[in-house]
Amino acid sequence: MADDFKRRDLFRLTAGGLLVAGLGKAETPVFFTKDEYAAVDELMETIIPTDDHSPGAKAAGCAAYVDRQLAESFGDKEKHEWREGLKLLEARCQKKFDKNIAGITPHQRIELLEEVSKDEEHPKGPEEKFFNVLKGATAFAYYSSTIGIHKEINYKGNVYLQEFVGTAL
Amino acid sequence: MEHSHEPMANVDFNTVYDAIVVGSGAAGGMATYVLAKHGLKVLLLEAGKKQDLTKELHSMQWPYDHPRRGEMPQSDHALNFNEYTFRKSPYAKGMNYNHVYSYVQNWGGSDYSKNIVVDEKDNPYSGTSYAWVRARLLGGKTAIWGRLALRLSDYDFKAASRDGFGMDWPISYKDIEPYYDKVDLFLGISGHKENLPWLPDSIFQRELKLNPADMLLRESLKKMDRTLTPYRAGVTTDGLKHNHYRSRCFGRGACNRHVGGCDIHAAFDSPTGVIYPAMDTGNVTLRTNATVYEVTVDPNTGKASGVSFIDSETKRTYKAKSKIVVLGASTLESARLLLLSKSRQHPNGLANSSNHVGHNFCEHIMGPGITGLVKDLVGKPRTLDDGHPGGFYVPRFRNLKTKNPKFIRGYGFEGGSGCTMIPGNAMSTPGFGAARKKKVRDEAGAFIDMGAFGEVLPRYENYVEIDPNIKDRWGIPVLKFNYKFGPNEKAMAKDMADSAQEMFEEAGIEIVSLNREILTEGWSIHELGTSRMGNDPKTSVLNQFQQAHDVPNLLVVDGSSHVNASCQNPTWTIMALAWRSCDHIADKLKKGEV
Repeated sequence: MADDFKRRDLFRLTAGGLLVAGLGKAETPVFFTKDEYAAVDELMETIIPTDDHSPGAKAAGCAAYVDRQLAESFGDKEKHEWREGLKLLEARCQKKFDKNIAGITPHQRIELLEEVSKDEEHPKGPEEKFFNVLKGATAFAYYSSTIGIHKEINYKGNVYLQEFVGTAL
Repeated sequence: MEHSHEPMANVDFNTVYDAIVVGSGAAGGMATYVLAKHGLKVLLLEAGKKQDLTKELHSMQWPYDHPRRGEMPQSDHALNFNEYTFRKSPYAKGMNYNHVYSYVQNWGGSDYSKNIVVDEKDNPYSGTSYAWVRARLLGGKTAIWGRLALRLSDYDFKAASRDGFGMDWPISYKDIEPYYDKVDLFLGISGHKENLPWLPDSIFQRELKLNPADMLLRESLKKMDRTLTPYRAGVTTDGLKHNHYRSRCFGRGACNRHVGGCDIHAAFDSPTGVIYPAMDTGNVTLRTNATVYEVTVDPNTGKASGVSFIDSETKRTYKAKSKIVVLGASTLESARLLLLSKSRQHPNGLANSSNHVGHNFCEHIMGPGITGLVKDLVGKPRTLDDGHPGGFYVPRFRNLKTKNPKFIRGYGFEGGSGCTMIPGNAMSTPGFGAARKKKVRDEAGAFIDMGAFGEVLPRYENYVEIDPNIKDRWGIPVLKFNYKFGPNEKAMAKDMADSAQEMFEEAGIEIVSLNREILTEGWSIHELGTSRMGNDPKTSVLNQFQQAHDVPNLLVVDGSSHVNASCQNPTWTIMALAWRSCDHIADKLKKGEV
């Protein structure tokens, strides 16, 4: 059980306790407004982008999945956290680039997130705290998706084996 | 299969059963099997529901095929370390969630265990901080156990003679060895022979293989005169010809989703391992949803006469009668039941003339652990690393050949390595963007981690009692904890972290994180010792056959009876002892000597 709890704790701490699930492709958002959804979709792709190896967070449907989780979340704390966090990031973006998050270039979005992720272990202020929430949600949504498990990580398990794999003693 | 073992609610309240068994986990399940095989008529009472785990578990479901990727609904809540530490129990009191569960509900695939672990709102307790994990269903905690199946040795049974603390067990290894053998052969166990006197080998089936990082550490530990052995799993890896309810292990992986269980029952669980085979004798009446709240006593003889129970759903109460009563309700629930069973002959609670019921409560301390990175494995092509029921075990190495100046007894490590379905570093790696994505994928298979389990000394002053003010959902008074880790445990915990660091450094493994914090009391889910065995009725509750000194037709066959915790996981010992004791009592019953 040791490795179980440790992995879980590691995950929980990083995910900031947010539970995320659902699946899916881009569709009409349930919780986010259209503008919020577009911003989240781009921010998540900035955190886990498409590269030569595999598609990124957009293709994996991470925003849709977080949208559904927030729609059914219990109480308003998490909804509030996301809505306010996005507002702050949009305001920062407007001030810096005179455009909204969905309207700037991928490189500008990297600049924007670099400003709010200077010390992830000790986040200061609401924007840095929100970055951790956003990143944790993106990571879990992505690495638990079809693309994340099979294309990106190329996980080989969860199959029937006649013989165990590894070194016999 | 589902239909052949429906719980039979038609308990005959006029008949006197040969035995009533309370609880259907490893202990109660094994007792039921052994007694039924001896031809005795057994009434098995389980407080929880009969869950069809074959349908419940979805062991191979991919996260993306579950609406919440295996997580529970957000209206439910699992207690966490901070809540156990800073809140006062009952922990669920004042919480707004629909359901509140123990921390176990936060493991991978928590949605699969929502019908297994108890709702803390219905099952409160009070007192000192304690993470008490309970599973109420047919099979009890065998539905969620970690499956590490280890034997104890005379280093444990005679520990008091070695270091002067506490009391020796009234048995030695040679008394229990034949029963370990029986359990091995009947249930199946996987492992590799190491010939260690302090961790005796079992009769092993096909062993698990080791990943490259495990091998690296194993070879390095040899130089330190320490051992890393493949996980000794209570899993049948070759299959069992005598049990058609269980398949052999197919290494499907995702086994560390323990709470998601093993739906082909290669891993031991009490229903398919012992209860269904017991019911196939025709000698067992099973009633689920039956919460026993009192062991009744014959007013003339003071002996046990049966039990009173409440239907968990209708709340109607019943009395059933038997010649012997066998408690296997778990270390803490059996103590609670004994303390609740007060009578004129037993004003202190049943079997408690020694005032030792609820005392000498012990377990394993957890927390210190280490995660490392094997540089040579970074960026290597992906391999299948988790297609096995467990990783590795590093047996105890302290206070065996030499004496540690800071603490007595010892600890072992459970660990694993390689890539999992959702690797831990996918969440923990700092940064963002393309470089982070590549780092996560390159390093996903290169991690190795392990965490320690150490022996907590049995001390009289660590105990549970009945809380006079708080009752559970069924009106039954609950337990109050008076339990704290002591200086020996704290010194040991420090050494766990130090030795973990030393072992990884020796092996050239880069240390990513080293945890020195102790987890809340109870975290190991290895509660033991509340009705210990012994030769002296003044200082022990049970004799070597788990019969109460005060009440010879009452047995307590769960972890309550253990005299100390060892640092080795208790389930296999619980079953070996239950088998031995039930052989003994069946023989006595046949001879009319009870």
